Amino acid sequence: MDCYIVDFHAAELGVGAEVALEDSVMRKGLPAKAGSKILEGFIAPFDATVVTRLLDSKYNIAGRIGMNEFGLPSLISAGTNDIYDAVKAVSAGVVSYALCNDVFGVYRRRAAEEGICYLHPTYGTVSRYGLVPMACSMDQIGVACKNPDDCFGLLSVIAGNDPKDGTMYPEKSYVYSKTGKELRIGVPAAVLNQADEGTKESIRRFAAGFTSTDMELKYFDVYKQVLYILTCAEASSNLTRYDGIKFGYRASNYKNLNELYTRTRTEALGVEAKLAAIMGFMVLSQENYIPYYEKAMKIRRLIKESLRFGEYDIIVLPTKISDDSYENLSLFALAPLAGLPSLSFSFKGCGIQLVADAKNENALLTAWEGVKNEI
Amino acid sequence: MQNVKRYEMLNKLELAEDEYVRVSACADKLTESFKLLEGIDTSGAEPLITVLDIQNVLREDVCVKTIPREELLAPAPDSTGGFFRVPKTLE
Repeated sequence: MDCYIVDFHAAELGVGAEVALEDSVMRKGLPAKAGSKILEGFIAPFDATVVTRLLDSKYNIAGRIGMNEFGLPSLISAGTNDIYDAVKAVSAGVVSYALCNDVFGVYRRRAAEEGICYLHPTYGTVSRYGLVPMACSMDQIGVACKNPDDCFGLLSVIAGNDPKDGTMYPEKSYVYSKTGKELRIGVPAAVLNQADEGTKESIRRFAAGFTSTDMELKYFDVYKQVLYILTCAEASSNLTRYDGIKFGYRASNYKNLNELYTRTRTEALGVEAKLAAIMGFMVLSQENYIPYYEKAMKIRRLIKESLRFGEYDIIVLPTKISDDSYENLSLFALAPLAGLPSLSFSFKGCGIQLVADAKNENALLTAWEGVKNEI
Repeated sequence: MQNVKRYEMLNKLELAEDEYVRVSACADKLTESFKLLEGIDTSGAEPLITVLDIQNVLREDVCVKTIPREELLAPAPDSTGGFFRVPKTLE
């Protein structure tokens, strides 16, 4: 059954509805607005590959569901305007699953807070074909649902190489299962110390169930800067396609082409998208490219190469260290910056997230299996 | 942040006064935080363009049916004769 959810309205979903799609995942014949007025009137002309795979496996698509504009963080409103309807819908039992794109951690944090879970897969294992792009080098469709076992089940349906996406690993499919290996948990004390006492205790108790080791997340102090610089640069480029010509909203009052562009974008882009567009053009400008954009790309490499997954299998992190949404970006930057899988859920009443090496989702599943009777 | 107006113009945007105040304040905060990058030694590091360790993904050069022209033009705010329609650009 297909039905059309403008936002999160439980009453609009019928029996048998199973998978909700964030407003950026295309379902042929349905609007795909990515939470933005600028895509008003746009009807998806094809199915995203993840949708095709779900339909082939007999899942029902419940409809689309509200999100932050293009998935951008609400920095100007300090997170108070975050829209995470996918998490609310799953938490309320309206749908079993929701597919979302979570670069900035909105879903990873809120899922843990709402007592459900969010699985952000390895970059390049799930097709981005049919996903409205925001930051292409980090965009990745993930799964929200009530428990990680089901998350991995759905991930096994949607993951695997797609010739329509040129940024994918070659494996045609993935099998997610518990490993027999004893896990080593890396605990970054300097990060943990920034969390509240309850979260610290939850993470200590989580780590106590495994062999744990202290570790350092080098460059953590600039994670949020690197993430925001690179994502606003990529987002500003992606946002240039919204010009009122090819699809979506067009201003009604203009005298020439320049006014058409300007009035369309001014009237239909939200303030967070305008901020990202302006910051993106700033970091990509001639005078700022080297000190900001290129430097951030170099630090991204240093971050990736500083990880020592031979010494630990999983890094455990809090899902909140501050009430400031910009400060919290640091907690969620590692997975998108290094292309790693991440699983967040509530443990002993506090949000935690686990990050594993690329294509090692099985370590996340194994960790979950080790603690799921104690949560 | 200096030059907000310039990047606004390049983006084909005209911020309302209240938006300008909010965007400028947030841009100032972000730009100030970016200064922390100056202290990171990146000498010898190459920019990381993609996290994937695969290169040159090619596929067979096979003709396939794409989305019909009329379907691609359907979401356009204005089209005519199989083309996107824009305001007159030359006098």
